[in-house]
Amino acid sequence: MISLSSVSKRFDGKRQVIALDAVDLQIDRGEMVSLVGPSGSGKSTLLNLIGGLDRPSEGDIRIDGTLLRGINDDELTRIRRDKIGFIFQFFNLLPTLSCLENVALPLHLRGWPAAKINDRSRELLSLVKLDNRLEHLPEELSGGERQRVAIARALSVYPPILLADEPTGNLDSNTGAEILALIRELHSRLRATVLIVTHDREVAESCPRQIALKDGRVVMDQRR
Amino acid sequence: MKLLKLISWQYVRKHLLRTVLTMAGIVLGVAVFVGMHTANQSVLSAFTKTVDRIAGATQLQITAGESGFDEEVLERVQALPNVRVAVPVIEAVVNLNLKSQGNILVLAVDMTGDRGLRDYDLEAGDDTVIEDPLVFIAQPDSLMVTREFATANGLVSNSKITLAAMDGPRTFTVRGIMKSSGLTSAFGGNLAIMDIYAAQKVFGRGRKFDRIDLAATEGTALPELQRQLSAMLGAGFEVESPSARGKQFEALSSVYGMLANITSLFALFIGMFIIYNSFAIAVTQRRSEIGIVRALGATRGQIQALFLTESAILGLIGASFGVLFGLLIASGISASLGNFLGEIYGVAQRAAEVSSDPRLLLGALLMGVVTSVIAAWIPARAAAGVDPVQALQKGRYQQLTKGENRLRRQIASALFVIVFFCLFFAQNRIIFYSGYFLTVIAGLLLVPTVALWLSKAIRPAMKFLRPVEGTLAADSLIQSPRRTSGAVSALALSIALVISLGGMARASYNSINEWMRIALNPDMFLTATQNITDRSFRFPASFGDEIRSIPGIRRMQLVRNARLLYKGNPVMVVSVEIDKLAAESFLPSVAGDSATMYRLAAEGKGFLISDNFAQLYGVKYNELLSINTPNGTLTLPVAGIVRDYSDQKGTVLIDRKMFIRYWNDDTINIVRLYLEKNITVPEMRARIEEKLAGKTRLFILTNQDLKSYIIKITDQWFGLTYIQLAVAVLVAILGIINTLTVSITDRRRELGVLQAVGALRGQVRRTIWLEAIAIGIIGLAIGLAFGCVALYYSLEMAARDISGLRLDYTYPWSMAAGLFPVIVGAALIAALGPAEQAVRGNLVEALEYE
Repeated sequence: MISLSSVSKRFDGKRQVIALDAVDLQIDRGEMVSLVGPSGSGKSTLLNLIGGLDRPSEGDIRIDGTLLRGINDDELTRIRRDKIGFIFQFFNLLPTLSCLENVALPLHLRGWPAAKINDRSRELLSLVKLDNRLEHLPEELSGGERQRVAIARALSVYPPILLADEPTGNLDSNTGAEILALIRELHSRLRATVLIVTHDREVAESCPRQIALKDGRVVMDQRR
Repeated sequence: MKLLKLISWQYVRKHLLRTVLTMAGIVLGVAVFVGMHTANQSVLSAFTKTVDRIAGATQLQITAGESGFDEEVLERVQALPNVRVAVPVIEAVVNLNLKSQGNILVLAVDMTGDRGLRDYDLEAGDDTVIEDPLVFIAQPDSLMVTREFATANGLVSNSKITLAAMDGPRTFTVRGIMKSSGLTSAFGGNLAIMDIYAAQKVFGRGRKFDRIDLAATEGTALPELQRQLSAMLGAGFEVESPSARGKQFEALSSVYGMLANITSLFALFIGMFIIYNSFAIAVTQRRSEIGIVRALGATRGQIQALFLTESAILGLIGASFGVLFGLLIASGISASLGNFLGEIYGVAQRAAEVSSDPRLLLGALLMGVVTSVIAAWIPARAAAGVDPVQALQKGRYQQLTKGENRLRRQIASALFVIVFFCLFFAQNRIIFYSGYFLTVIAGLLLVPTVALWLSKAIRPAMKFLRPVEGTLAADSLIQSPRRTSGAVSALALSIALVISLGGMARASYNSINEWMRIALNPDMFLTATQNITDRSFRFPASFGDEIRSIPGIRRMQLVRNARLLYKGNPVMVVSVEIDKLAAESFLPSVAGDSATMYRLAAEGKGFLISDNFAQLYGVKYNELLSINTPNGTLTLPVAGIVRDYSDQKGTVLIDRKMFIRYWNDDTINIVRLYLEKNITVPEMRARIEEKLAGKTRLFILTNQDLKSYIIKITDQWFGLTYIQLAVAVLVAILGIINTLTVSITDRRRELGVLQAVGALRGQVRRTIWLEAIAIGIIGLAIGLAFGCVALYYSLEMAARDISGLRLDYTYPWSMAAGLFPVIVGAALIAALGPAEQAVRGNLVEALEYE
C-alpha cells in the first residue's frame, strides 16, 4: 500500500539538515503502524512525504502502486484527496465552518452532489458520535470533539490510508484514549491502513506494528 | 532608532511586497499632485516667460481687453511728459502650416520706436534691414523669425511664407533672423516679428492696437504714472506691469488647478486608507512582538513613536518616488494642457520645458509624510495601548469588536443628523462644504458595518455558486471586517467619484446638447479662425455686407465676442444683433420674461447674462451691472438671466450697436447664417467660396461641424477629469491587492488545510478570486449608494465654485451598470498575484503556521 525506497529529505539552508536518510519502508494494506522517535528524528517529515504534502530530495514513494515522483501538484493533490485522510495534532478545522461543513469540505472539493455530501457528512459525524453537534462551530467544541470532527473529515471519502500526526498530542489523557479507541475501531471497521506519528508510548504500543526513527533512519521495525 | 532597525526593518523585510503596495497609494497621489501642478506651472511659467521676454524694457502695458483700442490712444499716451517711450503692439498666435511646430506667436510692432524697448539681435548680414527701420516698414511683407524657428522650418533670409490674411493670402519674406537671446526664447522660440500696420490688415484689426508698451522717463515713480494713465484713459483700460498679465492667465487655468488638487487629494485620501489598513493589520499581527518589547521595558510613547516613525519614513520614500514620477509625467501633461487651454479659452501657449518649483516639490514631500503619519496615527495609538501580558498569550487575529462597531454607527448617525441640518443652511459656503465633509466621514464610519452586512448577505449566493470556494471567500470577509473595510472604503470612494463625475458628464452633455439645439440653430457659421475660440483674426464690418449680398440667405447674425475683465475676472462679452437672435430662438430663461428681456437688450436698455455669470459673481436679475469699456463704464440693468454654456467664466450678451458704441469695435468674429428653404448648405458654401475665394481668410462651418467641435471640447474637458477615475480605480486596485496579500498571510494555515484535504490549485485560486470579487461587489454597492450623495454635492460645487453652471441631477445608471464588469475585472486582476502566492507556498510550513 505504501512503499518507500531509499527516500531522503534534506533541508538546505546555511547548514544542510538531513531529515530523512535513505529510508526503505513497506506498509501493507490494512496495517496499523505507529511511528515513534525523538523530536527531530524525521517522523513528521516521513508522514508529510507519504501524504504528498512534501516531496523527497531523493528516492521513490509509491502509494497504492502509484509512483509519486514526476507527477505535478494537482495530480499529487488528487492522490491525496482520493487515497489519504489526515488527522493533525492541532485539528486544523476551518474556524468559520460548522462541523457539518468541515466534514463536507473534502467532498465538495471532489464535486459530489449536495444530497450525497449531506448524507455522508451526517453519517460520519454520527460515527464519531457528534450527531448532536452538526451546526456547531469548532470554537464551540471541546478539544476531543474537535479531534473527532477532524477524524470524520479525514474519513469523508473512506480513504484507504489514514495518516495521523500526534492525534492525541493536544488532548488530555482520557480524551486521548477515547480518540485512540475511535481510530482503532474505525481501522477495524473500515480496514484502512493507519499510520500514527506519536510520542506517546501507550499509543505506540497499542499498534500492531511499531517503527522507530532516529536521526532520519529507521532504527526499529517491530510487529507484535 | 535602534528599535526601528531591530524591529521595524525586520518586519518590512519580511513583508516587502505589502510595504511596496502600501506605499503605492502615496506614490500615486504625490505623482498626480506634482505632475498636474508642475504641468500647470510650466504652462504658466512659459506664458510669464513669453510676456517677460517680449516686454523687454517695458515698464507698463496698456490694454482694453481683447477688443483693443483706437490708434489715437497712443498719441495721448505719448504726449505725457513722464513717458519716455510708448509703442503699439499687436500680438497673435497663428498657424502657419509649416512642417515643424505650426503655431507661432506673431509680435507686430512699430519698428521706428520699438528698439527703444526691445533688442532685436540679428545675425550678421541681416542687420542692414533693421539698421534703418524704414526699410523694414517700407517693405510691408517683411518678417523676422528666430534662429530656432528658421532652422526647424528650413528658412533662410529671403525665404517666403504665405499667410492666409484677412485681405487674402499674403506672401511674407524673411528679412531677418534673430540670434538666440532673451527675446527669441519667448513662446518656446516660435516667434515672428512683423510691422504693426501690416498686422492690422493681416489680422483684420482695422485701425486698432492690442496694447501699448511703455517705459517712463528716469526718476518717474511708476505707481504715480500708472494712476495718471488710468485716470486719463478711464476704467475700460488696464494699466499694469507686464508681470500682472500672468494673473489673467492663471485665472483661466484656475479650474484646471482646482481639478489637479481634487484629483491628487482624492488619491492621497484613498492612499491614506490603504496605509491605515496596513498599519492596523500590522499592529494586530505584531501584538506579541509589541508585548515582548513592552515587557522588556519599552514605554507606550516609544511604541507609538516607533509606528509613527515607520509611517513617516514610508511616507517620505513614497513621496520621493511620487515626486520623481510626477516630474516624469509633467511634460506630457503640460503639452496637452497647453492645447487644452488654447481650445477652451482661445489662449494658446506652449511649454517647451518643464519648470519645477522647489517649494511645490517640498510641499509634495511634506504632504506624503503628513498623510502617512495621519493614517498611521490611530493604529500607532492602538499599538501603544497593547497590554504586554495579554499580547504574550497566544490569541487569534484581533477582530473588530461589536462595541467598536456600535460606537462607529452611533457617531455616523450623529453626523448624519448634523448633515441633514447643514442642508437647510447650505447657502453658506462653509456650512455646505462642512456638510459634504461630514457626509464623507459618516459614510466611511459606516463602511465596516455595511460591508459586514453585505458579506453576510452574499454568503448564501456565493455558497450556492461554489460551495467551498464561495463559502470560504465570504467567511474570510465576515471574519475580518477590519482587514476588508480599508479596501472597501477606498473602492467605494473611488466609485462614488466615478459616479459623481459620470453624472456630471451626463448632465453636462444633456444640457449642452439641449443648449446647442436652441442656441446653435443657424445652418452655417463663418469664422476667420480655424478654432472657434481663437479670436486672433477678425472680419471687418464690411464683410457682413458682402455676405448679405449673396442670394439664398434668409437671416444673418453678426457676432463679435471678446474676453474682458469683469472685477478682475476674464469673462466673455458676446455682442450680437439681439433682435435678429430673438427672431430665431430664445435661450431658456432662468430669470425674467424672454420676450421682454430680449426686447430690452436689443434696445440697449439691459444686459442678458448667463446663469453661470450670475452664479459666479453673485449678480441678480434686475440688478445694475457695470462693465468697463474704452469709452467709460457701461451700466445697465440685468434684463434677464439665460441658460448659456458659451463660456466657463460666464457670458454677458449685449447688443452689437452698444458694443460698437462703447468699444469702438465693429469687427466680426462669427457670422451666423440661416438659409432659405430652397438652398442647401453645400450650395451656399459654393456660392460663398465663389464670391470670396482668395479675397479673405475664411472658414466655413456647418451646423454639424460646430456642434461636433463643441462636443470635442467637452470630451477633452471630461477626458481630463477621467484621469481622476483612472487614478482612483488604480489606487482602489492597490487596496484590494494589499488586502488580499494580508488575507492570504492571515489564512495561510486555512489555505494549507484546504490543499491538504484535497483542494486543487485551481480551487484555491478560485477562493482568492471570489474573495476579491466579493470585495469588489461590496465596494461597488456601497460606492454606488455613496455616489448618489457625491453627485449632488459635485453638481452643487460645480455650480457654486467651478463653472457656475447649474446642471440637472441625473444618476448615471448606464455607467453604474458598466462599472460592474470593470470592477469585477479589476478585482480579478488584483487577485491574480495573491492567488498565485497562495498556491505556491510550502504546504508543510502553511500547516504549521501560527
